[in-house]
Order: sequence, then C-alpha cells, then structure tokens
Amino acid sequence: MNTQIDSNYRPDALIVGGGIAGLQSALDLADQGLQVLVVERQSSIGGHMIALSKVYPTLDCASCITTPKMSAAAHHPNMQILTNTEVEAIESRDGAHQVRLLQKPTYVNFDKCIGCRLCEYACDTEYPDPFEEGLGAVRAIAVPFTNAIPQKAVLDAGHCGTCGTCARVCPTGAIEFDQQPRHLTIRTDAVIVASGFQLNALTVKPQFNAHRSRNIIAPITLERLLAPHGPYGRVLRPSDGKMPSSIAFVQCAGSRDESIGVPYCSRVCCMYSIKQAMLLSGALPLADITIYYMDIRAFGKGYEQFYQNAKAMGINFVRGKVARIHPVDGGDLAVQVESTENAETPMELRRHDLVVLAQGMIPGWMPADSTPVACASDGFVATPALTAPTATTAPGIFVAGTAAGPKDIVDTIAEAGAAAMQASQYLYQKRSALVAV
Amino acid sequence: MARVVDVNLLRKIKQHGAGSTLDVSACFNCGNCTAVCPLAADSAGFPRRMIRMAQVGMEQELLASEDLWRCYACGECTQTCPRKADPAEFMAAARSYAIGRFDFTGLAAIANRSAIGNLLIFAAFSAVFSALLLSKMNPAGPQLPLFSFLPGQWIHDIGVILFAVVGLSALFGVASMGVRFWTQRRGEGVALSFTALPGAVFTALSDALTHRRFRECDGEQQSPPALEEPWHQRPWVVHATVMGGFLAMLLATTLDFMLKPIGSPAPPWYPMRILGLVGGIVCLYGLSIVLLRRAQGKHTPYTKSSFADWFFPILLTVTVVTGILCEVVVYLPSPSTFGHAMFFTHVVLAMDLVAMLPLTKFAHVLYRTLALVLFAWRHAPARVTASVGAEI
Repeated sequence: MNTQIDSNYRPDALIVGGGIAGLQSALDLADQGLQVLVVERQSSIGGHMIALSKVYPTLDCASCITTPKMSAAAHHPNMQILTNTEVEAIESRDGAHQVRLLQKPTYVNFDKCIGCRLCEYACDTEYPDPFEEGLGAVRAIAVPFTNAIPQKAVLDAGHCGTCGTCARVCPTGAIEFDQQPRHLTIRTDAVIVASGFQLNALTVKPQFNAHRSRNIIAPITLERLLAPHGPYGRVLRPSDGKMPSSIAFVQCAGSRDESIGVPYCSRVCCMYSIKQAMLLSGALPLADITIYYMDIRAFGKGYEQFYQNAKAMGINFVRGKVARIHPVDGGDLAVQVESTENAETPMELRRHDLVVLAQGMIPGWMPADSTPVACASDGFVATPALTAPTATTAPGIFVAGTAAGPKDIVDTIAEAGAAAMQASQYLYQKRSALVAV
Repeated sequence: MARVVDVNLLRKIKQHGAGSTLDVSACFNCGNCTAVCPLAADSAGFPRRMIRMAQVGMEQELLASEDLWRCYACGECTQTCPRKADPAEFMAAARSYAIGRFDFTGLAAIANRSAIGNLLIFAAFSAVFSALLLSKMNPAGPQLPLFSFLPGQWIHDIGVILFAVVGLSALFGVASMGVRFWTQRRGEGVALSFTALPGAVFTALSDALTHRRFRECDGEQQSPPALEEPWHQRPWVVHATVMGGFLAMLLATTLDFMLKPIGSPAPPWYPMRILGLVGGIVCLYGLSIVLLRRAQGKHTPYTKSSFADWFFPILLTVTVVTGILCEVVVYLPSPSTFGHAMFFTHVVLAMDLVAMLPLTKFAHVLYRTLALVLFAWRHAPARVTASVGAEI
C-alpha cells in the first residue's frame, strides 16, 4: 500500500483509471507541468491493453506500446500513482472536486518492498492467475505479472494461508499482515474519468452453453494464449490441452442483441477477431478458422484492407448470427447457425474444437450513483456536447476512452489526448480568472 | 420469369399484427431466428426468409410458401431476436394476411384486419341465421321439446346448404394456395410427382393428428429448454385437447344425425351423447388454457393477441358451453324458456362457426393441413430437383 500520499496532497488533476486512456491523459497533463494523480483499482497500471498480444491493424506488440507509457508514468516527476484504490465518490463545489478514495490493503508496505520476489518464490499457495484468465497459476503473494507497475508484491487475502513464510524471507520487513483499508480524500480542480470497460459475461446468452464447456472462451483468454509470454507459450485449448484444429469466432455474442439488453455495437470485436484469426493462422498454420458474423464493421484507417487481407489468407467468413452452441463428444462444440449466403446447406451443424465468443463491451464503472457525472441510457458516461466530446455533464470532469463508449485503442489514445487538452484548458482558464480577480 | 413486387406488402402484413408493437422493419436478417428454430432445421425456410420476402415485397413467394404454415409459434425466435423484431408475431400476422388473400370474398381480409369488421361480419351472419330460424320457429310456449321449438329438419336443411357454400369457399381458398405453390415450385424447377401425392397426404394427416411436428416445436429438446410449463399446459397438448375435443363433438353430431331420427329422445348413456359431452369438456379445458394464457400475455405463443386471436377461441368456447347446456336442458323435467334460448343461441353460433371458417383463425385447419401435405409432397423421396449447377 502506498502511504506516501495523504489528504494534504493536492494534485491539479486526478485521473480515474490507469489503463491506456488514463495513462495517456495523465502523461499529456504532467508533461505540461501539471501535478497529476492516477487512481487505479487493480494492482498494476496498464489496464486491458497490457494483457493483449498484438494490436490491429499493424500487428504491433501491445506491451511494446503500453510498457513504455506505464514506465514513463511511474517515473514522471509530476505524477503520482495509487494502485489497489477505488473512487468511492466525487463531490463537486464551485469547480473544485473532493474525491473520496478507498485504498485496499495489499499487506505489503510499498515504501519498503523492493520487488525482489523472495516472498513469491517462498510462498507455497497457488491459485488460478487472474491476469492469465485463470489458465496459469499465481502465488498468494506475488508481483501481479512480469511487467506490472509498480513492481511491488501484493498479497491476496482470499487465498493466503497466513503461514508467515513471506514475512520471514522478506529482506526489508515489508509484509504487514495488519494493514487496514484506508479512506482518503483528495482535493483537485479537474478530474478525467478513464474507468474503461468490462466484457459482458460469457454466460450472458444461455443458448451458447458457455457454462457447460471450457472450450468456449473469451477473446481476452485467446489474447493470453496468443501472447508470447502467455500461460502456455502457445495456443492450447483449455479442456484437454489439445492443439485446436478448427476454431470458430462468434461475433456479436454479447452486443448488438436486444434480447440481452445490449443493443449497441461494441465496435472493436470485428477487428480484434480478425486480428486474432490472423495471429492464429500464424500460430496454427493447419487450423481451419471461421468467423461467424452479421456484418463486418471495419471502420478505421487501414481496417478494410486488414479485413480483405484476412479473407485472402484463407480465413472463412460465414454470414449468420450463431443461435446455439452445443457441447458434443470429445470436448468439441457444434455451432448452430443459418449461413444466410449459402443456399445449398444453410443449416448444417458446424463442428469446432474451440469457440471464441466476441463479448460486448459494457461500462467498467457507473459513476452516476456516486458522482455528479451523468450516464447515458447505455450505461456509459454521457457526453452531451457534440463539439466537446470529452466533456461530461459536470464542469471540470472530463471523460476519455471506453468509459464514454466502446472504442478501440487508436480512438482511445486520441480521445485521451483531447481530454487532457480540455482539462488543462479548463485549469488555465480557472486560474487566470482567479489571478484577474 | 417476371417478378411483381408489392412495395406495400410489409405495411399490409403489419396491419394484421397484434397491436402496433410489431416492428419487423427492425430486422437486419442476421438469421438468428432460423438458426434457433426447432422446425426450420431441415429447410431454413423460415422465419428469416419469410421476413425477407415481406421486406422486399415478394408476395407470390410468400403466399406460395408452405413454410409459412409450418410454424407453430413457439416464440423461441422472438425471445432471442437481437433486434426485438418479433419474428413469431410476424409469422402469425403473415398467416392472417394469407387467410385474407386466399379468401375470394374479401371478407376474411376485413375480419382479420379490424375488430369492428370482424364483429360486423359476425353480426351479419348471426342476423341471417337468426332470421332463418325465426321464420320456422314454433312459438307455442316453453313446454315444447327443443326440436319442435326449432324444427330439426329445417336446421338440417340450412346446415346442408351452409356446408355446401362454405365447402366451396374453402375449396377455393385451398386451391388458391395450392396453385400458388404449384406455380412457384415449378418455376423454381422442383419436380413434383403425382404418384407421391397420396403418401404425402397420409403423412400430413398423421402428422396433424399426432401433432408430431408440433411436439418438435415444444422446445424441450433444446438446451436450455425453451418452455417450462407442465406437460398438460404445453402448447401442443393444449392444441391437441381443443382439436381432439372438437373432432369428437363433430363426430358425435354427425353420427347422431345419421343414426337416429332428428330430435328423438335418447337416454343419458347414449354413446354419441357421451362422446360429445366428453369431447366438449376436453375442448373446454384446452380453450380455458388458451384464453387464460392470452389474458396473462406472458407465455409464448400467447404473449400478443390481436382481435382475431381472441375471437375464434371465444366463439368456440361459447358454442361449446351452450351446447353442453343444451345437453343438460334435455333432461330437465320440462324444457324451459332458458333451454329454448340456449338451444337457439347454440344453433346460431354453431352456424356462425361454420360460416366463418374460411374467415377466422379457424381457416388454419385448411391451410396448415394443406401446407403439411405440400411439405411432405415436396420432400417426398421420389422428387427430382433440377440441379442449378447443371444449367451453368
């Protein structure tokens, strides 16, 4: 737990969320000489992007883009980072914001921890690694993942057996079993909400039977399987470790579907599925890869070419929304779909040994309950002004990235920069008004 | 072949839907409905293709399609439709539209589209039958037996003429659908052999009587199960009780007319009487479930109800109830005014029921049965399909 920061610390801007949007906004503000505090719920900054394998449409390594930004943020003289910390409420009065924070105990004193990992090596309790989507194992006390920032050990109280081995081996005496949650109120002039997204549950459509097969996986799980530093170092299916030979991508499995209450398009799924299909055909050159889609939304610069390349590479695109997925013998799955462009055998049951459900993006945090920020009907932060797309309904509070709606990394970074610019302009105008008086 | 497109087709079908909530224009043809349908598996014919036909105005293709009538409205497609376009209600509306198009008098279109039209037609028929009965009614007081109050022979004569007229009208409707099917399938190059027709008729009739297809529609085999009703409230069981009960009553009435002088007394254990009574009670059970579910509006396929959806089961219920009351009245010590009123009402309503067969939802007995025949015929083993590939 970082205890250096207390209520006397008064940053110019507070960023809610340390993913790629929050980091970009924070760096853009800090580079202008403003003091910035980044508040992150997880044990490491980096958000979803640090867990990805590659990004479209360039197929650049995701961590090669994210890690430098995380590192720059961690070492920036104008920036402070609080991990394991949640925003409980924001109260705004006369353009100033009181942000109430809850720091959760990590049972490790971050001032003393040097990230040597001796505790992690000594710990004998393991549980499914959340960073690897449960495919690998992690120790009950551990640095969250290889390139996590901060490089500090965190103890998971839910899995710790309190044997005390870590405390005995720690060279700096950083383990503190008696840590308590800490409430903290930070006063600041500007807030940027970059709280990101979460994915709709795999089980949101019961017709897909995701609860009945381990081989129906989330796209983020496939990202980990495809990542060079992933759980297995190669693509194996979860149920039996078999190398999959026929993989299906089911598009719109958690969005554009009014029957599950998510009518909007999640925007990124078409492109990330095409990207994953391309990476898979590299990882498993003999595998058949099929993408079941309603329509391909390749909306960005170079995206349509990316889609055409995927078709040319031999990835099958079948137009039709998958209605059911049946677990069949051998851990395989039968996909029930009307292939709407195939008049000969439109209703053939198609057998695959791994199915990826393109889950939709839903809001990661709903600030409307505890802050002056209003949310739109879809649950994402409302941005009512067409000419100021990062302005929320509350003056001095801005929004960036997927907190405002589903979008990809390119758009997120652009929007994060815009939010930072709006925030710094707001701070400048507010302070020059004070000077003038 | 030149194709005529009706640009107003979707709008016209929507007028037949239940209320203004049918938003089938929202459909973007993803195919979820067809893929999820327990019955579409062998042909992929519906609901998506039906909706597409309606959207682009292919009326001939839509009306010629036996697939339209193979749907039993389990509602699975509506529950899972990503656009809330309500494919099940569209199918029902399209069937209602088809009933209107197959009926040459134009009355069916009016009856199915508007509640007022439906009631006016009903009132007109009732007035005609009442007038006919009144013209020979014996007003000599409440002591008369029922068939002296209304002469049995007169009822019989009206009935014969009525059956002849309605039979012709039904024949026209069936021919209207059959010819469309024939033209369309021949145009598509489907070879239909008449030697396979008797087999198809047999298959269709046995399917209709055993509810084989309807049971497939139940959704029980699906994972997760689509319906959670107890077995005695499943849609196919409910339909089977209404249909079975109705057939039993029809058989009892027919045999009664054939085997026994009209109006002659019969003991309570008289087999035709027992058959009719049991049929009536079974039929009433099914109808009560239908009406209850429609009133609740929660269970598929009864979530949405147009006036026509209400009219037919209510008419049938009242007819059956008055019929059962007549059976009771016969054994009262002396026939009363109440008994005469029940008998009069029952005869008028029963005649309405027959007269309105091609106009109401009752018409499904014609078109669904024909559709089952056509489907079995088309997919008979002897068929030879012209290969598209061979032409190229």
